[in-house]
Amino acid sequence: MGLLTPPRALWWLLTNVRFAMALLAVLCGVSLAGVLIPQVPLNVRGDSAMEANWLDSQEGRFGLLTAAIDRIGLFDLFHTGWFAVLLALTAAATGAYILSRCPGVWLAITRPRKRVPDGYFDNAPVRAQAEGPVSLSNLVRTLRGKRYRVEVTPEDAVTYLFADRFQWAQLGSLLTHAAVIVFILSAVVSKVDAFESPLFLAEGTTLPVFPVRNPEQLQVQLLDAHGEFAADGQPLDYRSDLAIYRNGEEVKRCSSTVNSPCSYAGYRFYQAAYYGFGAEVQVRDLATGNVVYQETLALAARQSSPHVVIANSAGQTVLDQTLVLTEELSAGDATYRGTLVTLPGGRLLTIGLRQTQDGADLAVFEPGSGGGTGIALLLAEGQTGEAGGLRVTYARQSMTPAADVADFPSPPEAAAGRALGEAKLQLSNVVYGTERASEGNGPAEPAGGPPRLTITGLGPKPMVLEPGQSATVGSYEYKFLGQREFAGIQVKRDRSDYLVWAAAALIVLGLMVTFWVPRRRLWARISSNGISLAGQAPAHADFARELRSLAAEAGARPVLTAEDDRA
Amino acid sequence: MANSAEPRDLGAGVGTRPARSPRSFFRRWLLPALVIAAIAGAIWFLEYRQDGASYDPSGRRYGPVDLPASLAPADAAVEAEQGDFAPDFLLEQLSAGQVQLSDFRGHPVVLNFWATWCAPCRKEMPQFVDAYQRYKTDGLVLLAVDMQEGASIIQPFAQERGMNFPIALDRDGEVGDEYRLLGLPTTFFIDRGGLIRSVFTGPLEERTGDTNVQGAIEPGELEKRIAEIMTPAGAAGP
Repeated sequence: MGLLTPPRALWWLLTNVRFAMALLAVLCGVSLAGVLIPQVPLNVRGDSAMEANWLDSQEGRFGLLTAAIDRIGLFDLFHTGWFAVLLALTAAATGAYILSRCPGVWLAITRPRKRVPDGYFDNAPVRAQAEGPVSLSNLVRTLRGKRYRVEVTPEDAVTYLFADRFQWAQLGSLLTHAAVIVFILSAVVSKVDAFESPLFLAEGTTLPVFPVRNPEQLQVQLLDAHGEFAADGQPLDYRSDLAIYRNGEEVKRCSSTVNSPCSYAGYRFYQAAYYGFGAEVQVRDLATGNVVYQETLALAARQSSPHVVIANSAGQTVLDQTLVLTEELSAGDATYRGTLVTLPGGRLLTIGLRQTQDGADLAVFEPGSGGGTGIALLLAEGQTGEAGGLRVTYARQSMTPAADVADFPSPPEAAAGRALGEAKLQLSNVVYGTERASEGNGPAEPAGGPPRLTITGLGPKPMVLEPGQSATVGSYEYKFLGQREFAGIQVKRDRSDYLVWAAAALIVLGLMVTFWVPRRRLWARISSNGISLAGQAPAHADFARELRSLAAEAGARPVLTAEDDRA
Repeated sequence: MANSAEPRDLGAGVGTRPARSPRSFFRRWLLPALVIAAIAGAIWFLEYRQDGASYDPSGRRYGPVDLPASLAPADAAVEAEQGDFAPDFLLEQLSAGQVQLSDFRGHPVVLNFWATWCAPCRKEMPQFVDAYQRYKTDGLVLLAVDMQEGASIIQPFAQERGMNFPIALDRDGEVGDEYRLLGLPTTFFIDRGGLIRSVFTGPLEERTGDTNVQGAIEPGELEKRIAEIMTPAGAAGP
């Protein structure tokens, strides 16, 4: 063999089966490594500081090897250049194989070998022989009945016959190979063309999918977000009812869940997140009647709230409530966050909470108590104490969703030069994940009733509103429109999906063709002494049995061969 | 010998390729071609179908239009830039009918691009409402161009907030594109002669007292910019 020119050498390499097998083995091994070795999270990639921190966190697992693993890219394997080269080589080798096989396969389909040497009838792996007179017309009829294409060539005292069936089935293996290329192509298309955009929407609000000016702009409106929970608080399902708008017109209304996204114009809208605690607040300028502020605020922070039970001297419960703490109190050196509580009969108490290393202490203040500090009782969580004829139990500490809103509108006359101020909003009497549905309040709250929004920072007293209620401060009216839920919607478009489906279809089609309709070719040599048959078909086709049956159909008496004995 | 006669019995069809029937052609070529064409057509339909442009009752297309020649010198720059003539447009109006920017020539115009989903737009809107109430008798026109939203969303928003000025609907974003918006809100201050005197990107939310809202502007900034365009035509150059 002479020296190969570089293009020929490359072609030889790419069409070499051993090279292809080695390539696939390496690809499998590397992919397995990519599954077993943790990969840099998406939100860390590209940020050198975060990547360095993440690598530090891996040192406990990989020790001194961490730097080496990082250097060869195994922590970000599927994005390395060499992995892309491996994929490209696999695609090239598969493509080269298909190209190299095409002429041969085409020739075998359109111009099959119709005559084989006589010796082949004695050596063919699949063959049959029969003695006695043969009815060629019976044989031809039988073959055509089985949808074979038949050609007969008389030659002196011998007649040769060639028949084949499912000749196009030979393309099946090429389809399967083509599927590999389409799969790799789909990965490339996905990398180049895929679009993804996260939206975080409150009920009733709308957000655009693209930056402003995009001619394909879509807007997503969250009509309703719904969370469903098991009795133990575990989430069962999240669902969002969406309306999709394009060019100002509603073009679709649909429900989206985690596994069943809503689709429009090639874009899919997946349910990606859920958050149950939002409050929609409206502020109206009473002087003009105009709304000056209407927002749905996510109450993402948590404020400690003690659940307190108070009974009077007769044993009657006069308070059983999770308290929303609104004031900063100081008693001696300690600072408490507390609130004023009015008991039936008008008796006033101040109850405060102080965070400690072990949890939180509850203090009950009443003027004249505690030797100057005003503290009548100091209780740890779960404790009960008595003072002033009241039996106070600090049942448990719970949390209230809260938010500090920096630019909440205060009435212009509330304080000179302070139209926008900081307000604290707390949403009480709501339960997350401890009931079967996310709407409304939960059975864990003994008081029941609707959610309550407490707003502090607008005046000397906190404002407590139930849904639909409003309160006036100066010339502004503040209205709590209701509790609102939020949904995270992931908008995705990946046109490589079509290619993945096409590749999957090619694989299935290729395998079905290969296994269900294997190509059969048979050659027959018919003489006055009998008939010899030789055939080619995949092993699973059991072609030998068919050949014997054909010989019998032709009227000859089968001759048992050594292969038949073994069978 | 019976066998020797067999080849002659086979008839003309044996050993020759049968004539290709129309049915075979359909199965081999036409059907697969139709299936492929149907799949390609479905993909194209899903991916590229677009809603058509919209037109006013007289058949004029909504979107950017040429500035009438009588309203600008032949060599004048018509660009969304400070000092240039404001590009003209025709848009559908929220209330009814349509609105064309050049129809307001002779009036100072505050052209505000906004959307209900844009939080800064929502925050600055009360100030525009106030300013319009104060200056509308002096001829100030406030034209709010909503970007790519529909009337069903804008209507309740505008009504609640007392937006009694013209609201135009740029449904496909072409006018926003002509004005090269970088984001919302963006406000163009256009004088009586149609020249853009200033452009403000971001919320025109006045800083007051101890508020530390990012992007807030100095007190009186909106008033100052409005005063610039209220001057009589020809009193100030670009």
